[in-house]
Amino acid sequence: MLDGVGANLEQYMTLLADRQKLVAANIANADTPGYKTKDIDFQAEFANALQGIQPNVMEVQGLVVKNDGNNVSLDREARLLAENALRFNIASNLMRGQIHTLRLAIEGGGGSSS
Amino acid sequence: MSLFGSLDVSASGMAAQRTRAEILVENLANADTTRTPEGGPYHRKDVVFESSATSSPFSSVFQSAIEGQASGVQVSQIVTDSTPPVMRYMPGHPDADKDGFVAMPRVNPAEDMVDLLGASRGYGANVAAMSAIKDMIQRSIDLFK
Repeated sequence: MLDGVGANLEQYMTLLADRQKLVAANIANADTPGYKTKDIDFQAEFANALQGIQPNVMEVQGLVVKNDGNNVSLDREARLLAENALRFNIASNLMRGQIHTLRLAIEGGGGSSS
Repeated sequence: MSLFGSLDVSASGMAAQRTRAEILVENLANADTTRTPEGGPYHRKDVVFESSATSSPFSSVFQSAIEGQASGVQVSQIVTDSTPPVMRYMPGHPDADKDGFVAMPRVNPAEDMVDLLGASRGYGANVAAMSAIKDMIQRSIDLFK
């Protein structure tokens, strides 16, 4: 029903939700010895997701490793947390526009509004 | 379902940090305790964190490849410090030995206070993550309106 932009938006939001889960896991494991920060290459995985390819998770390189082998940077995770939330916000607003258009078509241009 | 699973991850982080804070507070409260049920002075305790999967076998059927990778955290064990207690010269103390020395817990309040700050910050970070995820869920629900 939601074709083109709408379907892409759905993939985008799904991928954002998945990434947000990884960020949540990184934050939860900020004090776990030996834990390595996990993330996805968002741009590449989004392009893959549009083609139906499952995303793969990688360990982030180049972060400072603490004495206990943990390399979670809370600053990095806080930034990604905010970024994902904002992106999701934008996507959901765009999606709402798509649904609104669809609803206008169903209701015949806005005669009776629900 | 992935966003609800994310809440579980953050919740596991909050639970683990709270357990850590409880243990640290116990250490601080017992910094001068010379009698314990096990006998002898109190021994400092510390938590060990371990990452763990939060999803059940049922929900894992529905989750994507990414979600299986995102793990929560749990307290795998609580270790007790086995170093010998500090012998402090207090001849008037009821638990003093014949030479007047009392076995006092080897608890460094400064160390525990710093750890407590870390636990508090960690808890806060998990709350922030949960709040952000909650907003995303709310946004998704608002699409129905």
